[in-house]
Amino acid sequence: MLQAQRGNARAFETLVQPHREIAFRLAFVITRNAADAEDAAQEALLKCWRSLGRFRSTEPLRPWLLRIVANEARNRRRSSGRAERLALRARTHLSGGAAPSPEDITVSADERARLLAELEGLPEQARTVLACRYLLDLSEAETAAALDVRVGTVKSRTARALERLREIHG
Amino acid sequence: MADLERDLHALAAAIDWPATPPLHPRLEPRARRAWLRPAAIAVVALLVAVAVALSVPAARSAILRVFHLGGVTVERVKVLPPAQQRPPARDLGVPVTARTAQELLGMPMRLPRLDMPPQLYRTGDAISTLFARPRPVLLTEIRSGDAAIFKKILSARTAAVYVQVGTVPGLWISGQPHVFEPVAVPPRLAGNVLIWVSNGVTFRLEGRHLTKQDALSLAREIQRGT
Repeated sequence: MLQAQRGNARAFETLVQPHREIAFRLAFVITRNAADAEDAAQEALLKCWRSLGRFRSTEPLRPWLLRIVANEARNRRRSSGRAERLALRARTHLSGGAAPSPEDITVSADERARLLAELEGLPEQARTVLACRYLLDLSEAETAAALDVRVGTVKSRTARALERLREIHG
Repeated sequence: MADLERDLHALAAAIDWPATPPLHPRLEPRARRAWLRPAAIAVVALLVAVAVALSVPAARSAILRVFHLGGVTVERVKVLPPAQQRPPARDLGVPVTARTAQELLGMPMRLPRLDMPPQLYRTGDAISTLFARPRPVLLTEIRSGDAAIFKKILSARTAAVYVQVGTVPGLWISGQPHVFEPVAVPPRLAGNVLIWVSNGVTFRLEGRHLTKQDALSLAREIQRGT
């Protein structure tokens, strides 16, 4: 971190490498467009680099990074004016030849597809908080950073969104 | 965990995410932060105060303890700690290419006008080169931000005065050799030195016979990036 804060680009690359995938996926959850998500994540990394000197090295990097990614993605979504937004899709077959997990066994492909469609049908605020918490597996603190709200707000939004989804899902 | 939450977790593993692109933004050298300007002004004010304090012998031991410029911490002490007397060329480090130097500094190494490209050396994150003007001069550059990297320890018989290197503040240290604690090597005695900071990089020119006028002239050449 110290090297990156001193301006060592290679150290910065190493620092953010483990977070690239989650950064892109978070941007995709918000923009619903792969090109916008890539632009947002790319721009966010650049902003992180530029402002790294102000980052407190005692704090965890990921929530800070995700906050910048989410901000950039929201800006990108507002300004791009794209009509087409991709819905999230579930794979019918889980990848690889690995043994299915207990969740795979208990939740069929059809059930997954139905649940995803129901999730996609929720209002944006509810959909986004559930996507962050369950699909991206962000912690409450990371979700709060990404949505730019307090952790308490994440808890209440998650509870309300789950309640709403439960009503639909039956 | 409720069934719905368990199902959502299961769903996460089945999402068909778009492939994550390489995401390699072009990381330009970081611009000097706007808030550093007040900090630079504060450093200048402090250095002026230090220079004034130095001119009053009775105030030396009472006021001047520690101050900073870029990656350099300067300490004023009554008695210098032990240090070896060895030529700067002994501490140059390992030879590196101009490209490696650029990666470490975040910009190409700035040099004075030279007849031929000099060999660059690396010690830690510091890049150094030795050239003749006409006597040997050691130039070291390091991307420092606000972190202290080098330490210089001065006795009362070494003068430290604020100078202006173009538009940026600098510090001219001359007189009796002072103790220089570089990166990753033992302390040594150092001759006259000019230090200044520009664009987040701390520059250090050292030469036993370097005069203030020559040092400032060289620094201006280096600032112009020739």
